[in-house]
Amino acid sequence: MTLTRIGLAFVVAAVLSTGVGAADYHHVHLTTSNATEAIGWYTRYLDCEPLTDRDDGVECGGAQVVFDSRPTLGSSQRTGIDHISFSYADLMAKMAELEAVGVGGSGVRLQRFPDGSTLRDIPGLFKVGFIFDPWGTRIELVEDDQTIGFHHIHLNASDPAATLAWYQESFGGESASLRNRIDGVRMGDIWLLAMPYEDGVPAATAGRAIDHIAFSVTDMDSAVSGLRSRDAEILEEPMVPSGGRTAARRAFIGGPDNVSLAVVEAGFAGVDAEIEVPVDITTELQPYTVPRTPWGTPDFQGVWTGDAAHGIPLQRPEDMTDLSSLTAEEAAARRERGTLGSIWGYESEWRDTTLGYVKSTPSRQVAMVIDPQDGRLPPMTAEAQARTANRVDTSGVRRIAEGPEDLSPWVRCITRSLVPTPGVYNNGMQIVQGPGHVALQREMIHETRVIPTDSSPHVGSDITSWLGDARGYWDGDTLVVEIRNFNGQVPYQGSSDNLTMTERYTRTGPDTLEYQFMLNDPTVWTRPWTGMFTFVRDETQYELVEYACHEGNYGMTNILSGARAREADEGR
Amino acid sequence: MSKWQSAQLTSIVVLLAVFSLTTRVVIAQSSDVPRAFDGHPDLNGVWQAIGTAHWDIQDHPASAGPPDMGAIGAIPPGQGVVVGNVIPYRPEALEQKQQNFENRWTDDPELKCFMPGVPRATYLPYPFRIIQGDRKIMLVYGFAEANRTVHMDKDNPEPPPLDTWMGRSHGSWDGDTLVIDAVGFNGESWLDRAGNFASNGLHVVERYTPMGANVLMYEATIEDPNVFTEPWTMRMPLYRRLEENAQVLEYKCVEFTEDLLYGHLRREPTR
Repeated sequence: MTLTRIGLAFVVAAVLSTGVGAADYHHVHLTTSNATEAIGWYTRYLDCEPLTDRDDGVECGGAQVVFDSRPTLGSSQRTGIDHISFSYADLMAKMAELEAVGVGGSGVRLQRFPDGSTLRDIPGLFKVGFIFDPWGTRIELVEDDQTIGFHHIHLNASDPAATLAWYQESFGGESASLRNRIDGVRMGDIWLLAMPYEDGVPAATAGRAIDHIAFSVTDMDSAVSGLRSRDAEILEEPMVPSGGRTAARRAFIGGPDNVSLAVVEAGFAGVDAEIEVPVDITTELQPYTVPRTPWGTPDFQGVWTGDAAHGIPLQRPEDMTDLSSLTAEEAAARRERGTLGSIWGYESEWRDTTLGYVKSTPSRQVAMVIDPQDGRLPPMTAEAQARTANRVDTSGVRRIAEGPEDLSPWVRCITRSLVPTPGVYNNGMQIVQGPGHVALQREMIHETRVIPTDSSPHVGSDITSWLGDARGYWDGDTLVVEIRNFNGQVPYQGSSDNLTMTERYTRTGPDTLEYQFMLNDPTVWTRPWTGMFTFVRDETQYELVEYACHEGNYGMTNILSGARAREADEGR
Repeated sequence: MSKWQSAQLTSIVVLLAVFSLTTRVVIAQSSDVPRAFDGHPDLNGVWQAIGTAHWDIQDHPASAGPPDMGAIGAIPPGQGVVVGNVIPYRPEALEQKQQNFENRWTDDPELKCFMPGVPRATYLPYPFRIIQGDRKIMLVYGFAEANRTVHMDKDNPEPPPLDTWMGRSHGSWDGDTLVIDAVGFNGESWLDRAGNFASNGLHVVERYTPMGANVLMYEATIEDPNVFTEPWTMRMPLYRRLEENAQVLEYKCVEFTEDLLYGHLRREPTR
């Protein structure tokens, strides 16, 4: 299956003063997983503006940043290009604004200084702070009143002086000193700075969040021969790239410290991304005969994942009245938002659902709820409505956990949920069958449910448990699982301990397993309702690896000790 | 039958008997063993060890438990499951074992509802289910949601992707014996409540041999050059749970350890 490739490039729009090598700084090229989402992020938070002549970049205070969609290999930190920088007239206000955004949603990750602050005023220089974009590009924000807008590119260099000299010889610009404190090369309004890298050789930039920097030249051939004479490695000879939007040529050079550099001719406007939409195996179904186990039941064995279903809302959004499926592009963007919406502290490559990693096409389902047919949960009972109405509104109140019980069963590593709603990671499900039993193992919290299909009766009603007592039977090609005896401690959508559930698993194709879950809770809802999503077989990607959650639950210790520290601060 | 022939048969029988004494396990009449679709023994079912190996895999006298627990918490005497009763610890490892024993009421991973590792999961005082299919065998234990997938379908054992509590298991049949080769352990597990332990160099070879329909002879050979001077073996029967509708019930023990692990971090500390 072809991966969707998206990338990010960064282009200086201003015509820069030509230097020795008659080159202009052209763009920085960032790797993100989705150009549309990246344009939105840089526009929203860093005051950039979408480019008008192409749909994969932004203009940021004198520089162009272009996005390339493809799997990112990690943050820019510790590569040859550590970070890029933007300058604001009032950095304290800007930081306050970004801190208020938080990491939730496609948010902003702040890199705090060891004392917890987000800003530092460097004597003789200016205020500085660091953030990350959701794809791992480290961004320094500064308050340099002499240069507002795009400010600098900061290299990691084994030998900073030699590196700066190489750039100046190769691409021009002027040797200068930023506030007489940091040596650099000034290219128009943009600084190229280099800091000593003391931990071996910086990692290669190619494929990382800041993929490369690009310079434009008026004479490609002489520029490249000049680079060749300085022993620069020519990674890609000058050519009009495949998918090039103009006839301008581009070459790729290996610069010092594993930095990738593009050299482009005037008029270069990037390439049209080759977005090949993989066949959506969840909708293009062929007549299919479900395989059988040697003992005659439908065979569901293997490793499946819910990655394709990540991002499907349980209920149809109220502003969506069209119940037909999303377009492939809408579905990809929705899953990307879902993935970005859970960035927490995780690098993107850690998340299974990052575009480019996940091998299954995003589901185009509008909502999980298929019954009622309007995609919305049925009305609640009068009793449940009254209970909801009487509930104290705690939204907006920062709750401090008094003990483990105040945190969710998931945080406590007890169970994720009654419904294995796909998240950004650990969506795997392994099925092993033997005569009379089906074992369903959820990757998250390594929960394994063994479902008897041998007509044995439920256990007594006094034996309640978190996931309930399940009994299964075969209805043609479908495994039907009836669950009762819930202890009610992990409610789903407000369910009570009066809940019973019916799951239906059906193979709908060689690599698809439809999962339906019906909740019947007469205490809470006026009628049963059913949700559905599809697992996709993905044995090529991984097998389930033990997820020892409780055994390494440092999160619990940290949350509670943080809560106690906060109380101490507040004098309670 | 002539006298001569009879004498010869007798000598053959005697010879066989001597031979069988030297094998590790006396195999029961194989016709008693339920068979799976492929002719191998059918191990599907709920099994459990009976004994005191979970307290101490070696011979041990009765001893006191936590004082408040009286006779409920006391440790009953038991005959060990270690063949020869001696565990060939390296000297420094033996010291570690003694230290584990001293600290057993605070350090034992079982106290914390951590996954028990192999082979300890087998002889904890909880049932476990074997689900035997055509490609994998799954072992689902009644403690700490522990489980193992035994890969029966790999031509060549694959290296474990990383160290884990329950390790990575490859299985094969040696006649009627299911042989499981398990490696890739993280070295955090103990072998019993007496502080016996192994490191992340642990390699366990388990043998599950049916002795009729309702008993498996279980044998685990323990190899770990970091801890032991030579491989050693434990052996015990596993019994089928014969109750009608016997199940391995969900036992999420995490919530019962939260006070132990986090009580000192409560707003009103309990520890």
